[in-house]
Amino acid sequence: MKIKRGFNQVAAIAKTDFLGVLRNKTAIFFTLLFPLFFIVIIGFTFGQSGTGDMSRISIGVVNLDGELIAVNATNSVNSTIGDTFVEALQTVNFTVSNYGEYGDPETNGTAAYAIRQGNIDAILIIPANFTESLSFQYLDNMSMPIPTRAHLELFVDPTQTTGSVITQQSILGFISGFVKQYQQIAMQQAPADMKAYIEVLTDPLTVTTQDAEITGNELQWIDYMVPGTLGLVLLWSGLNHASMTIATERTKGTFQRMVIAPVSPTTVLLGKFVSNLALVYMSAFIMLVSGILMFQVNLYWDIPVILLGIFLGSLSAIGIGLIISSLTKNEEAANSIAVIISVPLQFFIGAFFPLTMMPEAAQYFGELLPFTKLVDAMKDIMTKNLGFDAVVPEMTYLLISGIILFALGTIAYRVSLKRL
Amino acid sequence: MNDIEVASVTKRFEDMVAVDDLSLTVTRGELIGLLGPNGAGKSTLTKMISGMLNPTSGTIKIGEFCVQTQPMKVKEQLGVVPQDIVLYDYLNAKENLSFYGRLYGLTGSKLKSRINELLEFTQLDEKAVKRHVSKYSGGMKRRVNIAAALLHEPQVILLDEPTAGLDPQNKHALWQIIETLKSQGKTIVLTTHMMDEAEELCDRVAIMDKGKIIALGSPRELVKKVKMENTITVVPDKAAPELVEKLKNMQGVKNAYIAFDEDEKTQALKVITDNPDDILPDVVAAVAKDGTKVLSVQLSKVTLEDVFITLTGRSLRE
Repeated sequence: MKIKRGFNQVAAIAKTDFLGVLRNKTAIFFTLLFPLFFIVIIGFTFGQSGTGDMSRISIGVVNLDGELIAVNATNSVNSTIGDTFVEALQTVNFTVSNYGEYGDPETNGTAAYAIRQGNIDAILIIPANFTESLSFQYLDNMSMPIPTRAHLELFVDPTQTTGSVITQQSILGFISGFVKQYQQIAMQQAPADMKAYIEVLTDPLTVTTQDAEITGNELQWIDYMVPGTLGLVLLWSGLNHASMTIATERTKGTFQRMVIAPVSPTTVLLGKFVSNLALVYMSAFIMLVSGILMFQVNLYWDIPVILLGIFLGSLSAIGIGLIISSLTKNEEAANSIAVIISVPLQFFIGAFFPLTMMPEAAQYFGELLPFTKLVDAMKDIMTKNLGFDAVVPEMTYLLISGIILFALGTIAYRVSLKRL
Repeated sequence: MNDIEVASVTKRFEDMVAVDDLSLTVTRGELIGLLGPNGAGKSTLTKMISGMLNPTSGTIKIGEFCVQTQPMKVKEQLGVVPQDIVLYDYLNAKENLSFYGRLYGLTGSKLKSRINELLEFTQLDEKAVKRHVSKYSGGMKRRVNIAAALLHEPQVILLDEPTAGLDPQNKHALWQIIETLKSQGKTIVLTTHMMDEAEELCDRVAIMDKGKIIALGSPRELVKKVKMENTITVVPDKAAPELVEKLKNMQGVKNAYIAFDEDEKTQALKVITDNPDDILPDVVAAVAKDGTKVLSVQLSKVTLEDVFITLTGRSLRE
């Protein structure tokens, strides 16, 4: 009987809280539509990056492939594959400018000068032995091809923090596609008895800038962003709304009336948690569905693990929100503190750009945040198609931090009851 | 049977004593008014009765249950109507009542029937019931605010300034609601600033000041404690001593005399009585019957405000 009554009270509190958002235009915007608005902006800005329209990305190519080079003590001047590579860059619509040398930033006409001036976004150096390496011209004593990797060098503008990552990711995506094409052609042209040998050359090309995330799918930038936005959902819909929930009721007086009723503090907290969780799920659903419908995101959907991750992440977000909500005097104060906390945190959770781009101290801080763990786990699940086993450490971290933060939120709430 | 027993209750906030060793009992079906200026301790006392605040010392019982040790049992017995409108303005009246009903454990047909009864009680029409509370007038909000506290049929009702800010029409409508509740045998604690409200509605009034009850009794008993008198002043065109004698002999009149106003250069008949409202028509009729023209009539009643000023030397609104 008591359990049934408690369940009914939890449902009543959750429903009323939930309706408070659905019937408040401002709350709808910030809780539900702002994430949608955000993904639309992100989608239209970066949605085609990666393998789509690249005309916005300007690459300065230093093609050394036509230069004289010794191959097995014989001079070679072969630029066939290098030229093909450059043509392919243009074909997929990168804006390509040719430079004779990397040069130095002070000398006009060099690639280094152009990138410093902001005329180009990246410099790609094609080595002199590019064609020779990829066409098996290096032979051993037995006249068998020596597997030789061609080595591209990619330089991006480090002052363009986010833009350089997009540029880099886009070019790496292109290279990945080029490699696949090359492998197919090489396999077709190879003699039948050499095919098995060639098949082991699965990685004939390396790039020194950073490791490319090669997945089963060819991913666009938006595909990387969408899992990251789930972390943002926790901050916007979870932390922000939870931080307002009790503070608003206290300001309006409805909280006092709830306390006067025969409702236990645990019941009130559960009701608030359920409504906040529903909002987080709804917000995440809007984010993901809009990503699918508007930008055709190409992701893997392990729904139970995604739902579990969001639930565990919500424990932390709502826990922090409850602490703010319980310890502040009114909704204005709660809102201010929530904004002060959640806005900077957005940049530390790896949603917008990788933590590796940040200073070391910021990376450590970011790694401590449960929201970062959620973003990491969701990226593993949704872009790399990894299973639950692969994200157990992140999920465990989310569970532990969630329990701790929610417990602290509960304590803060109980303390707040003493100062009605 | 006592529905409320407050025994030697003190509430301190750091150095400030909000309620000071206060004791009070309220019997079943009684309507008691808590009267006093801001800071007198009324709100603190009602918050302690409702369980929102714990006393620093002393005990409070509602019915047979102790507020401090059996708070859930006490909450079942209590209906608290806060001074402010404490409703969800994005819900309509029905949704608000449903929410509060469910908090008190009502479900299904019982909840539905109570909501319907109370919607009738609030006198909201069908259209209003479906509108969000934010669109309601002040009087409508007040009525729903009260209804929300009555869903679980509490025996004890705490009303905190229920008519604050209402126009006279709505105020009197709410007084009728309170009288209806009293006629149903509810025990009511009414916190108010308004003398007329306390005099009109309350069986007893507790006048509070500086955390203590400084006077307790029925409005009439309290007025009697003050050495002031209710006076009917009739200004006639002529004041004959025979008329004064006639007035003195009227039932309910304690004394009558002629007073001369030096400034106005007029004579006035002064009639002293305990029941000025009852005998005013008779006094005027007696003067007119004597062939005397009545130029003006003034009624000076001793009020609870006078009682408070006499006891504390301050006004209730200071």
